[in-house]
Amino acid sequence: MLEETLKRIQAHKGVIGTIVVNAEGIPIRTTLDSSTTVQYAGLLHQLTMKARSTVRDIDPQNDLTFLRIRSKKHEIMVAPDKEYLLIVIQNPSE
Amino acid sequence: MPVRTAKQMKPTLKVTKSRTPNQSTSGVLRVNQSATNTRSVNSSVHRKSFTLAGDSKVLDKGSVQTHKQTVQVFDETGKDVTPQPLYQPEAGALQPKQSKIFTNHDTSGSTLSDFLSTAYQTTNASFAAPFTRSVFGSSSVSRSSQSTMESMNDEIEDPSSKKDISLSLSDVQVRREEIKEQIKEHMLDCMVDCYLTETETIWLLDMPALSVSMDSEEAEVVKSEGRNMAYQELCKNRLGNDKYMERPMQTFNGAPKAKEVQSDSISMVEKATMATHWDIYDSYVSDGGAGNAADGASPTKLDISTLHRVHSSRPLDRTMSGASAISTASTSSSRIDTEAFVVQGENESDPEDVLHSEKFLQDLLVMERAVLENIYQPKLAAYRQLPILPDPNREQKAGDERDGQDDVSLNPALERLWAFNCELTMGRNVSNMAWNKKNPDLLAVGYGQFDFKDQKSGLVCCWSLKNPTWPERIFHCESGVTALDFSTCSPSQLAVGMHDGSIAIYNVQSTEKTPVIDSSDCAHKHTGPVWQVRWVENEHGPGGEDKRETLISVSADGRISKWFLRKGLDVKERKIEDSNIYLVGTEDGLIHKCSCSYNEQFLGTYTAHIGPVYKITWSPLCPDVFLSCSADWTIQLWRQDLFTPILGFTSTHKAVHDIEWSPRWATVFGAVNEGRLEIWDLGSSILDPIIVSMARPGVKLTSLLFATQTDCVLVGDSGGQVSVYKLKNLNAGEGKEVNTLHDIIRSTLASQL
Repeated sequence: MLEETLKRIQAHKGVIGTIVVNAEGIPIRTTLDSSTTVQYAGLLHQLTMKARSTVRDIDPQNDLTFLRIRSKKHEIMVAPDKEYLLIVIQNPSE
Repeated sequence: MPVRTAKQMKPTLKVTKSRTPNQSTSGVLRVNQSATNTRSVNSSVHRKSFTLAGDSKVLDKGSVQTHKQTVQVFDETGKDVTPQPLYQPEAGALQPKQSKIFTNHDTSGSTLSDFLSTAYQTTNASFAAPFTRSVFGSSSVSRSSQSTMESMNDEIEDPSSKKDISLSLSDVQVRREEIKEQIKEHMLDCMVDCYLTETETIWLLDMPALSVSMDSEEAEVVKSEGRNMAYQELCKNRLGNDKYMERPMQTFNGAPKAKEVQSDSISMVEKATMATHWDIYDSYVSDGGAGNAADGASPTKLDISTLHRVHSSRPLDRTMSGASAISTASTSSSRIDTEAFVVQGENESDPEDVLHSEKFLQDLLVMERAVLENIYQPKLAAYRQLPILPDPNREQKAGDERDGQDDVSLNPALERLWAFNCELTMGRNVSNMAWNKKNPDLLAVGYGQFDFKDQKSGLVCCWSLKNPTWPERIFHCESGVTALDFSTCSPSQLAVGMHDGSIAIYNVQSTEKTPVIDSSDCAHKHTGPVWQVRWVENEHGPGGEDKRETLISVSADGRISKWFLRKGLDVKERKIEDSNIYLVGTEDGLIHKCSCSYNEQFLGTYTAHIGPVYKITWSPLCPDVFLSCSADWTIQLWRQDLFTPILGFTSTHKAVHDIEWSPRWATVFGAVNEGRLEIWDLGSSILDPIIVSMARPGVKLTSLLFATQTDCVLVGDSGGQVSVYKLKNLNAGEGKEVNTLHDIIRSTLASQL
């Protein structure tokens, strides 16, 4: 179920890469090369922490559930959690 | 007064003692005996050790010493340099004075020559002679040095011996052999008594005045001239005279002593914390709220280091402290972080276990939907009738796309949006579709064969509009699915009727694959395929419960079961509009009107069809009108009170499998026959459908469903696909539809009569 879903996501149109990182920064699943994975994981983790801090500062009972960054070339979607980080990079205009 | 004397030992001085009854040398003896010793600054023991009880005899002023010890001084070469007394003082008279002098005498810092000189000089102690004065002068010098020494030795705490016991050189080596003879062990512990006495007045200068009588011859000379006058003149001139200068003198400064102290270096540690709003909230909540503020010192407060998001509810947690490039140096006191260290001792489990958490699956789902939203965004927007905005990043190809969008076709048309399809459903026949009553985005599709041949196992998929590529739920059934309906009261219940006559109820909220209820074991289950199931809100349910829903099914074995009652009819299909009256279509083409109240009889029969009636549907907007379609290629429009159809529609020579009224327009309905989808608009034309859409080659269209909120049509085919079409440019107003329909009916009727 889990693996199929991951495979399905990866097979969707325009998806460039899928990364699952645990809380220590170790990639569990990735379809990109190692250096890119580590780079994405580190940077996005910091951004996620900042975003979560922002959301909770405004209302401490709130929490961050999903983060999407749309850039010129890609869209980076991050599903953050305390234990992991699920990152999908997609090119939506393909 | 008893006087103690201290013994002085010099390194180069060999002091011997001999006992002689010589009184004349008693002074010398005393000197040597009274010479001081090595410096004993802080220890009275030292002093005691150096006091010689044996030597120190109480010396009275008038007493005569019987045991006198002669002291002989030898220098390094062994030459006897014992100072010979120059002057033999009278016995006893000056001795105490001498002794007192020399008890006070501190020769510290004085050299051997000094010692010798003092020893030499004391032998001539005499007040009268000027020689003695020099002696005393020298002794006073040494005494002044002694006083300085004494001032230096303020730390001597022995109160009784402050002045007497004096200190000497610290570099003095002691020849202890002689001394050891005299110092006994017990003497060391003896208390030493020291007495302070006032010394005799010491004359430093004595110049007796010379007096001259006034009557003598010299008086005049002395008075007027001479020294007296000169002196008086001098005194007068003393003030303001240049001859006299004030001159300060410097006193001795005490020798400073440097003392160093070193302590351990104080280590400094910087600690910083960031008190964010949510951090405060978390700590507050974790401490149990305001009421338990006192219990805030929870036992789980472990060492605080990095700010970290750690969820410790999972038993498979690992050490979370390391987290690489993301940990900041700030500290936080929230419990979430402290719990990270609670689980430090647990095993390092597979980091992939995180993948199997519920949350992860949920996130995957959301992520997939987000990804798909990006892909299908224009289609979904069209479905939901939102304006489709062009992607600003997409390059504008020269006019092509724009033209395509500007080309507004005025004809009503269907636009294909997408299709629900996945490899699971490939090749299966879509038999039925139903919308969820509560969630308009959820669609249940049943896959099953109509015919008796090629019976495969059935499948029910619950699709979500947000994910057209994979169904949300998949239920495998034993036999082909022929009927579906969602319940209204409990919207997560899905009733499935199957080809083998069994009915199952699934709960789509859970991910279980098995039905909640299954009628396979029921004794009265259907023996033929269930053609339709429907949940009915029954106001008058058995037992007097209100608003209960009952499941009614129609099957080919001739029964309409309410699961309580039966009906012995040969039925094919029916549809219920209101709770009491319902219509049943049969295989012979008859449509019966029945009522719930009458279990055995039907109220009326509508005859028109020749072939089996596949579907009857009431118009949702006009309460009296219903449509029926059958295998005889026709669609019939009826009104409830007339037993002949008002209108019949035929377009092709194919059996019409499914019809449905449009929920929005009263005059519009759709029909699906084997080869194509037809949209009829009675307001425009009663003879031809306004929109016709051909099916894909090799595929037969089997079912039809209108979307409730939007003007879209879903068509299922035998290839397992459910295609979504958008109705465009349907020029049918809403409010007037009902009237239009009635007008049409009336006009038709009028024309028929």
